[in-house]
Amino acid sequence: MERRNFIKSICAATAVAAVASPSALLAKDAPKGGNVLSYDAAVAAITGGKAVTDSDKVKLTVPEIAENGAVVPVKINVESPMTEADHVKAIHVLTTKNGNARSADIMLTPMNAKGYFATRIKLAGTQDVVALVELSDGSFIRAAKPVKVTIGGCG
Amino acid sequence: MAEARKSMIKFKPKKFKVGDTIKVDFIVIHPMETGTRKDKKTKKIKPAKYIDSITFSLDGKPFTSMKVWETVSTNPYFSVNMKVPGKGKITVDYTDNTGEKNSKSKKLKPKG
Repeated sequence: MERRNFIKSICAATAVAAVASPSALLAKDAPKGGNVLSYDAAVAAITGGKAVTDSDKVKLTVPEIAENGAVVPVKINVESPMTEADHVKAIHVLTTKNGNARSADIMLTPMNAKGYFATRIKLAGTQDVVALVELSDGSFIRAAKPVKVTIGGCG
Repeated sequence: MAEARKSMIKFKPKKFKVGDTIKVDFIVIHPMETGTRKDKKTKKIKPAKYIDSITFSLDGKPFTSMKVWETVSTNPYFSVNMKVPGKGKITVDYTDNTGEKNSKSKKLKPKG
């Protein structure tokens, strides 16, 4: 009974949140004082200028079209043995046009057994979602996918 | 102590053995307020309030950690994998940018 009520409360709360517009997240609209960081600056901060290679070892799953920019599912699977010697150290979920390019960083260990991470993020408008992956040897690989966001209007 | 925030840890599948790799899902009721939205009634900016850090531990030993920003959706959902080493307790500790700290635990009970 408790679990059913809990799920009900999540659905109700999420429905309310879904109506709220995420448009305030667009880089040009971000007021001073918010977390503002461009995609390029975020990548530089994470990699320290190291080379980043596009790799199809990073499988990034996002919807082609997001009906609701407030809740966009992101799933990442990095092909990796996840051993002490060779594993995914971190996955950085970034976006190219939000006022704050950073969404979430996850630091994994061999106990995770898979280079997998999933979450739901806000997209202020049509843009790319990027999975920037740091491997245990210090190298960086990435995958990027565009998401079309339809905001505003009724239906 | 303030009323605990509602959250849930889910294992998928529900039934698993030692050595299996399972999904560990964590979902929590939290506004993830960006600090850029105005309250329509007061016309004032709603202050930022978002989870900024999460740690998953097994019997007190961290095995996954996260940094989170306000760009993650309201009532956030996070999912990772884990190879089950044996019986134990999974704990998710999380803090938000206002310093609010919370914790949720679930027993890991492999069959066989």
